[in-house]
Amino acid sequence: MAREKTIQVTVNGRAFEKTVSVRRSLADFIREDLHYTGTHLGCEHGVCGACTVSMNGRSVRSCLTLAVQADGAEITTIEGLRNEDGTRHPIQQAFLEGFALQCGYCTPGFLITAIEFLEENPDPTEAEVREALSGNLCRCSGYQAIVDAVMSMSGKPAPENA
Amino acid sequence: MADTRFVNQKMVGTSVVPDEAIPLVEGEGRFLNDIRLPGMYHAAFLRSQHAHARILSIDAGAARQMPGVIQVMTGKEMLGKVDPFESMPNRFSGGQSTQHWLAVEKVRFVGEAVCVVVAEDRAIAEDAIDLIEVEYDPLPAVTDPRLGEKDDAPLVHETCPNNYLIKRDYERGNVDEAFEKAHLVVKRAFSIGRKQALCLEGRGCVAAYRESAFTLTMWMSHQLPYVVRHYLAKHLRLGEHEVRVIAPHTGGGFGQKASIYPEEFVCAHLALGLRRPVKWVEDRLENMVASTHARDQQIELAAAVDDQGRILALDSNVWVDVGAYSTYLWSAGMEPLQTAGLMPGPYQIEALRYVTRGVATNKTPVGPYRAVGRPSASASLELLIDDAARRLDIDPVEMRLRNLIPGEKMPYRNANNLVHDNVNYVPCLKLTAAKAEYDKLRAEQAQASDNGKLRGIGVACFAELTGLGTSTAVGPGTLLQPGRDAVTLRLETTGVLTIAAALPSQGQRIMTAMTQVAADELGIKLSDITGLTNDTAMAPYGFGTFASRTAVFGSGAVIKAARELRRRILALAAHLMEVPETDLTIVDSVVQTVDRAKTMTLREMTDQSYFSAKHIPEDLNPGFEVTSFYDPKFGSFAAGAHTVVVDVDPQTGHVEIVRYVAAEDVGTIINPAVVEGQIIGGIAQGIGEALMEELVYDADGQPKTVTLADYTIPSALEIPTIELHHANTPSAALGGFKGCGEGSIIGAVGAVACAVADALNRNGGDITAFPATPERVLTGLGVLPTDS
Repeated sequence: MAREKTIQVTVNGRAFEKTVSVRRSLADFIREDLHYTGTHLGCEHGVCGACTVSMNGRSVRSCLTLAVQADGAEITTIEGLRNEDGTRHPIQQAFLEGFALQCGYCTPGFLITAIEFLEENPDPTEAEVREALSGNLCRCSGYQAIVDAVMSMSGKPAPENA
Repeated sequence: MADTRFVNQKMVGTSVVPDEAIPLVEGEGRFLNDIRLPGMYHAAFLRSQHAHARILSIDAGAARQMPGVIQVMTGKEMLGKVDPFESMPNRFSGGQSTQHWLAVEKVRFVGEAVCVVVAEDRAIAEDAIDLIEVEYDPLPAVTDPRLGEKDDAPLVHETCPNNYLIKRDYERGNVDEAFEKAHLVVKRAFSIGRKQALCLEGRGCVAAYRESAFTLTMWMSHQLPYVVRHYLAKHLRLGEHEVRVIAPHTGGGFGQKASIYPEEFVCAHLALGLRRPVKWVEDRLENMVASTHARDQQIELAAAVDDQGRILALDSNVWVDVGAYSTYLWSAGMEPLQTAGLMPGPYQIEALRYVTRGVATNKTPVGPYRAVGRPSASASLELLIDDAARRLDIDPVEMRLRNLIPGEKMPYRNANNLVHDNVNYVPCLKLTAAKAEYDKLRAEQAQASDNGKLRGIGVACFAELTGLGTSTAVGPGTLLQPGRDAVTLRLETTGVLTIAAALPSQGQRIMTAMTQVAADELGIKLSDITGLTNDTAMAPYGFGTFASRTAVFGSGAVIKAARELRRRILALAAHLMEVPETDLTIVDSVVQTVDRAKTMTLREMTDQSYFSAKHIPEDLNPGFEVTSFYDPKFGSFAAGAHTVVVDVDPQTGHVEIVRYVAAEDVGTIINPAVVEGQIIGGIAQGIGEALMEELVYDADGQPKTVTLADYTIPSALEIPTIELHHANTPSAALGGFKGCGEGSIIGAVGAVACAVADALNRNGGDITAFPATPERVLTGLGVLPTDS
């Protein structure tokens, strides 16, 4: 089996062609090769959700995805959430103003998960929010401020760039 | 941060949105693993898979030959080059332990570092680790402190008879007499499992040689940069001035990142030898075995109680399974001494006796974790109070009211020699009970439930000593006795205020808090204040972030420095504006006469100070940089009382938290939203501690919980909405501040434990071992046999 493969991916709107080791995880590829270090590794075994990125519109654990599996895919990381004018995405603003992060290490995964969830369910109940976020672990907040921040987006139109 | 505010609006007490969170929410935090330096090498560690074994031989030949491998180092090769950690002489009984940074003759726990490989990248380093052959001679492992203290037990350290790393006997007041005259004696056993702080980001470091003016620069995911600097220099035989320590954005600390670990000394040593940066980042599997654990205690507690339900004396026996080494730098004493010593909590206890032991075992060492010792001390006593209340037919809340230290008795010296003052124990309890409608809850509980669940109600009160000054020891037996920290305030040429302190935040928004305090003291706009808290090359001396101290010390030092800076500003402004100093005030970064007839912006003033100094008398222009040390002398007690309602499913053993009502006294609040986040976050960890989290070892010392699938922490589904209320009273510290980082976890463990026990009691059951997993709950109900 080839030890390396050339892949094409679009990350945060920018096209890349890179030759990667076939064992390289998508997380390492994004962080080490593309220098998007906003995606964080919390467990590297698919439990904590810190490494969650959006791949073709679906959230995936980038620690459990190989870079070669992303060949041809469109990926959004936390660095790609800002609006075109550089202002923060509404959910980023909601997290900031709602004190929904403390150490901030888990935040990228929560933002990506929340955006996908709100697209599918723009007007959720608190129980639905808690269920949707239950695959992302936060050790600092006790979740209350995160749940409130996501709930504050309830009923608002889906953001354009998500 | 909002730029506008009402005239004279105080920033302290306002939920200022923190600028320091912006990079984090935009994906531009700079965590340890994000650091990349030119020519940087990567380290990986070979770790022991044996709990206890003699190292017979290490063959690293194949690893050394592997392309991309730069260096392989064993413990023997490091001997004599970096001084090992000899645990400090113990003023109580217990032996001394020596920890080499890479194991030399013996390994003493699964996960202990044996060899390090340095390679061009991390993957190569890890591949090379697999090529190293170590031959071990396995030894019998000590895995139970009650067996380990027996005379015939195997020894973890030859120098520690009965495996005691620490043992202390304490007695104050007449305990025997109290038990003799007691109306009731209640006894209870309590145990709590091993815990993991479980920061979402593990530990890590980048060590670099001759960066800037420093021989060694260390970036570390750490809470105490200056303390690290001190001990790195000491063991590497460098001058402290030759070492710079920077804590980048840190993904959680909770005490786990307040110790100094072998990997950090090894990487520093390697970088100095190789003259290249060396990076090591802990992965989760390493974190579960190589970063300190916490708790793991067994307690036997007895109380002498009079016929009115007043506790006359406490007598406890404590065993802590402290793991293989005395943790650098807090020692093996911290859990055993604090658990037993702080047992009285917020209650009036006149007589206290305990025997407490830190027993060495072949497990990962136990170190600091949020509210060291107190959660188990508190939970065991709260459970015992419920037992006594039941026996005396007194309501549990009433029983607590009869025993709490009331305001009118303060200052009150407890039998553990701590003085309680300026703290609202009784108001917190009354507030939680009122807000929870406690009487109604009990009435509802008395009705037969129609959902088949057992309802339990738990109420727990706690005391949390925060912001410890030089006159109150952090813990007897620890290497470090802090109590004094500094802050530098500097007006830049633009009139902007820079705050510098070595008080890093792991999410507590320390800089935001200090900014708010400085804004009030100096009349400077929030948007004109900036700062840094994480770099020994930029900040004045400080001990760092731990023990709910940082906001107290940082804010106190800001207040002191700001007073001097304000004096200097007004003196120079009076000269430049040609008005008497007493007519001047500072509002929104402008110095103005009280009638606002004359104004001068701080920017104009500093511009003249820096760039037109020749026109200003020297004594009026001493520079606008002030460093102040602050020592609050004593600590400040914070407090709380939590009410928890649970439903226990007698079929499955599942515990659901139905309601959670907390009342807290955290002194004068600087930023309410930040404080609320600290308290609720602590409660969530406490719920995990009481119901879910446990590191499990088998009888041979093999860890069974090394992933997040085995060691489960609460998700958003397990944590209910927390109803939070305040009964604050200012402390005696400058600004009236208290610490709030730890206390709430104490109340959570106690209140949840009491609620579960109360539920099981409905069916005649009980529970003494925590976390209250479904299996333990079913055992407590008699559904499963006791030995299961």
